[in-house]
Amino acid sequence: MDIKDFIAPFAVWKRAFEKPFTVKKPIDDRPGAPRYRGFHINDADKCVGCGTCEAICMNKAIDMVPAPGHDAGPGDSGLRPRIDYGRCCWCALCVDICPSGSLGMSNEYVWIDSDPEVFRYTPGVEPKPWDGAELGYRRAEGYRLLDEHRVDMPELHHAEAVKSFLELVRGYSRQQAEKEADRCVSCGVCIASCPAHMDIPGYIKAVRDGELDTGLRLLYETNPFPEACGRICTHLCEEACSIGTGGDPVAIRWLKRYIADQVELSDYAKALPRAEAPTGRKVAVVGAGPGGLSAAYYLTLLGYKVTVFEKDGEAGGMLRYGIPEYRLPYPALDKDIGYIESLGVGIKRGVSIGKEITLAKLRADYDAVYLSTGLPTAYGLEVPGDKHPRVLDGVAVLAAATRGEELRLGERVAVIGGGNVAMDAARTALRHGAKVDILYRRREQDMPADAEEISEAKAEGARLVEKAIPLEVKDAAGAYAGKSAIFVWNDAVMVQKEPGKRPVPEPIPGAVREERYDSIIAAIGQGPDLSFVAESDGVPMKRFKPIVDADGKASTGTVAGAPVFAGGDLVNDRKDAISAIADGHRAAVGIDRLLGGKGA
Amino acid sequence: MDAHGFDEALDFAISMERAAVAFYAQLSAMASFAAQKSVLAEFLAMEEGHVTMLTGMKTRGAVKLSPKAAVDLGLARRLAAEEKPTAGMNFQDILSTAIKKEERSGSLYVDMAAASADTEARSIFERLAAEETRHKRYFEELYETEISRDN
Repeated sequence: MDIKDFIAPFAVWKRAFEKPFTVKKPIDDRPGAPRYRGFHINDADKCVGCGTCEAICMNKAIDMVPAPGHDAGPGDSGLRPRIDYGRCCWCALCVDICPSGSLGMSNEYVWIDSDPEVFRYTPGVEPKPWDGAELGYRRAEGYRLLDEHRVDMPELHHAEAVKSFLELVRGYSRQQAEKEADRCVSCGVCIASCPAHMDIPGYIKAVRDGELDTGLRLLYETNPFPEACGRICTHLCEEACSIGTGGDPVAIRWLKRYIADQVELSDYAKALPRAEAPTGRKVAVVGAGPGGLSAAYYLTLLGYKVTVFEKDGEAGGMLRYGIPEYRLPYPALDKDIGYIESLGVGIKRGVSIGKEITLAKLRADYDAVYLSTGLPTAYGLEVPGDKHPRVLDGVAVLAAATRGEELRLGERVAVIGGGNVAMDAARTALRHGAKVDILYRRREQDMPADAEEISEAKAEGARLVEKAIPLEVKDAAGAYAGKSAIFVWNDAVMVQKEPGKRPVPEPIPGAVREERYDSIIAAIGQGPDLSFVAESDGVPMKRFKPIVDADGKASTGTVAGAPVFAGGDLVNDRKDAISAIADGHRAAVGIDRLLGGKGA
Repeated sequence: MDAHGFDEALDFAISMERAAVAFYAQLSAMASFAAQKSVLAEFLAMEEGHVTMLTGMKTRGAVKLSPKAAVDLGLARRLAAEEKPTAGMNFQDILSTAIKKEERSGSLYVDMAAASADTEARSIFERLAAEETRHKRYFEELYETEISRDN
């Protein structure tokens, strides 16, 4: 052993008398770099609680937790990420993937506390000194781990589309569908916003994995109209899609359609559940629209013998008689209905309740009755002259088009209203070669029709006249007398008359205009036809709606006979197919529970 | 038509509300199905409530009604409804009838106020006219949300 080995340890003693290299307050003098990955910050109002950060975190350092002041609602899970700094490796993948861009990192990296439990907190919810820090790590401009652009849907060009009733949207190819499905982060925020609570992440994963039978089974768990809803659903899910917070929402509706389009009807039975053993009980459904047939489907699966009574010549309700075939081709609708019928659901077409058979008779002959008769009655314009023969009802025009009748709308058509019926009537008239004006009492942004319907109607050539208050309909003069009508309206301005309420169209004095039209199609609103429900039927009503409980049960039991359930447009305020389908499913479960089925 | 003093003005108003009750009762007798009857029963009960309210005011000797008129949505002026209710009347028919009826009542009170030489009676009629605008507004809002949803 060398002598140095003994001396060297004592050599460090000389350092004890030297000035230390460290500074007295090292923390204050050494700020993190401008893009340092320090403690997390989160804009909790911008965050939708999708949990994509939690899913990507390799160290399981993120948990989604309830956050005070952030309630669950459409497009928001109500949860916010909580970070555990015992696990976090500061990789910032959570920041890079965050769809809404709410998550970032401050450049603060020193946090001293003797309690180890505090190093787990919810940024943006629990205040910290670095909240609102300007410096720190953010996702770089233009850098996205997620694809913000949806796969374009092949569509007919408007100029071409308006020449025929061919379907506008052609549907995704396998390659397109899988690419679009890849955009989904499976956060599930969309599920709550869907009235039927469809397993959207599940069926999108099935598309991604090429497991279409699985996808079809998931669709049918809550919705037996995937072909129809894959085309015309109001797709509230897409409004809630977390990807939509920073780009185009995932094309959920088109992916649903892709699954249904790819599986042949003859293969449905292999993918879908079989009906349970017969219960020996019978249920009558009134109305073969999406709500009625949804109830029929789920009741049949539960072992009930279901008979559907439909007043029209074909099943489908407003899906068939209210939606033109360029949006929903009849073969697609027939496929949905065909599968339901193949399970043994009997549909008695052309049978009107209240005429051929009474509700009381149904209550006597069946174990339960479900009413899903929708809103078949078009409300009138209610202006002087509205009984003119050239004033038509929008619902009747669409139904006549479905039946293939000659519409004879003429060359100049006015459509009064701003809902989907108005848009469909306008676009139907355009396809019959008419020049179309859509007159709406408020502004375009107030129109209740789907935004895409409005933009497509305009793109196809309809002229939108906003703020037009209907005043009168007069017969045309001269050679046009009896063949055309003059529509008179008052131009309006929108006036905010009361705070918190929507502006009211106020007529501009003297700004009265008129135009001659060959047809004036009224599409201001629709109501139910409840003339078949007598007071003696014991179905309580409020403002022309049956009052239902949480299961959809309408009758109170004070009148003898089978219980009556109701749903769909007749009852709910959403007035769309998917809500009617959800109501039908709910009623099926409610009926089963009431009649002693599995849910009892 | 003229009225003098507090009692006469309120007696007139109460008789108007009773007439409204009778009107809805008459419609209800004509109604042929449950939905009609339920709406008419609701409206009838409202009118009965007005009778009770006015009777109470008469008993207490004071009219506690706001003189402030409700915002006019302008529906009543445009609706062409000639009230000829039938057994098959729908919700639109019933609401149009109700709106027109409230409008007529309001106009009548305005006329009564203008024709009243008595200050107290005039004030009461003005307040009753304002009250009718609130009733009309109620029905107009219902019409907007339930009937004219797409326009």
